[in-house]
Amino acid sequence: MAGIELKVISKHYYVENRKVSVLNGIHLLIPDNRITVILGKSGCGKTTLLRLVGGLEKPDGGEILFDSSRKTAFVFQEDRLMPWLNVWDNVTFGLKKQNCDESVIRGIIQVVGLGGFEKAYPNQLSGGMKQRVSIARALAYSPSFIMMDEPFAALDYFTREQMQRELIQLQQTHGISILFVTHSIDEALLIGHKIVIIEEGRIKSEFTIDTDLIHRDLLDAPLIRMKKTILDILGKG
Amino acid sequence: MKQRKNAAQAAAPLLGAAGFLLAWFLACRLELFSSYVLPSPKSVFDCFWKMLLSGELLKDILTSFGRVLKGFSIAFLLAFALGMFRYLVPASGKYYEYIVQFFRNVPPLSLIPLLILWCGIGELTKTVIIVLASFFPMYLNIVKGFTGCDKRLLEVGDVFGYTALEKFTSIILPYASADILVGMRIGMGYSWRAIIGAEMVAASTGLGHLILFAQEMSRTDKVIAGIFVIGLVGLGTDKLFGILLHKLFKGFGENGWN
Repeated sequence: MAGIELKVISKHYYVENRKVSVLNGIHLLIPDNRITVILGKSGCGKTTLLRLVGGLEKPDGGEILFDSSRKTAFVFQEDRLMPWLNVWDNVTFGLKKQNCDESVIRGIIQVVGLGGFEKAYPNQLSGGMKQRVSIARALAYSPSFIMMDEPFAALDYFTREQMQRELIQLQQTHGISILFVTHSIDEALLIGHKIVIIEEGRIKSEFTIDTDLIHRDLLDAPLIRMKKTILDILGKG
Repeated sequence: MKQRKNAAQAAAPLLGAAGFLLAWFLACRLELFSSYVLPSPKSVFDCFWKMLLSGELLKDILTSFGRVLKGFSIAFLLAFALGMFRYLVPASGKYYEYIVQFFRNVPPLSLIPLLILWCGIGELTKTVIIVLASFFPMYLNIVKGFTGCDKRLLEVGDVFGYTALEKFTSIILPYASADILVGMRIGMGYSWRAIIGAEMVAASTGLGHLILFAQEMSRTDKVIAGIFVIGLVGLGTDKLFGILLHKLFKGFGENGWN
């Protein structure tokens, strides 16, 4: 099947014996070879949705249809690096020894700007550098589908911009499907083919942007209009 | 600047030891205690040197070291196996955890009469005393290491399709290793502390026997020399563990293990 389909997904947790509903009747198609961005305020259920798609949690209702043979990777909100492994070993953590092509790994480490830090341990790196190692770990796995949970939130403006460009480049070159969670409207408009707005566990709106990702400019009139609309939607929530 | 800092760091323990020796020397010099109660550093060192040259000390060190190593190894294997079982079958804990806690609070020395009755006065009793002394810190640390593994790291294994065995060998075991080695380090210290009790039971060699025999002979200098040797050998093995921990777990940052 093409893409991933979520049908009437619901999820709740119990906090202090009180049932808290996180997702309610989510219908969503995540297309192949595209970047789908989940946008919403903190606590709206974005991360839970990502975890359900990633199979890290089971939905309480509904079903998720996907091709189980696809190779998926996950970039978490936190770096989740193995503290006892150096950068190189963390990046190759998802690979079997025989699948580890040194030149490819070296290239990925260069792309995320960590050349020369291969032997450094996570506690010797800054928060942004650690997050870049975790992005490199996902890329080294050569996935056809990547889930990213606010991966650039810990990065400074310039690194964040560079990483966004690299992500777009990567997606364009390899045709990877990406499900990207963020609370930054600009980031969503810059990298998303499809933007899904979630509010209190429900999908409020969906937008599709046809502009070429490589030449996308946030100051283009249609994108400015879209930003205003999104701000209105989120503001009303 | 860095060289000066390193020199100061290296000199600090020497200064501490020198201060201790000076206080001891002055206490003897001023005759605050009789030489029977507190012999001078020189007489203790002379006694130590004499035992070293005669080979008597080395023989006792090797005997005690062998006993400590044997008891410690058995205790580690038991603690690891039981700790693993506790991790693999978490529900099992409620059946035996309180028994473990009960025995953890019973001093091994209080069990000597029973152990002599059950195991005799041979090597077995000595080994059991060391096992009882070193088992509990290792078991508690091993359980903590296995059960305290960060669930978020295990999810990374799930994402990359790790099997349960791969997750154990690549995430849980390395994560627990720091706790396991800390437990081993404490366990080794407890083994050395138990050696006197173990060698109270009809021993004819070993550092514990040396001290107890010296006490019977009213040789306080020999008693103190024996205590120093136990402390130094224990300190040496502890330092080895510290270096091992520091080398193996660079990624865990400043840990105060070395």
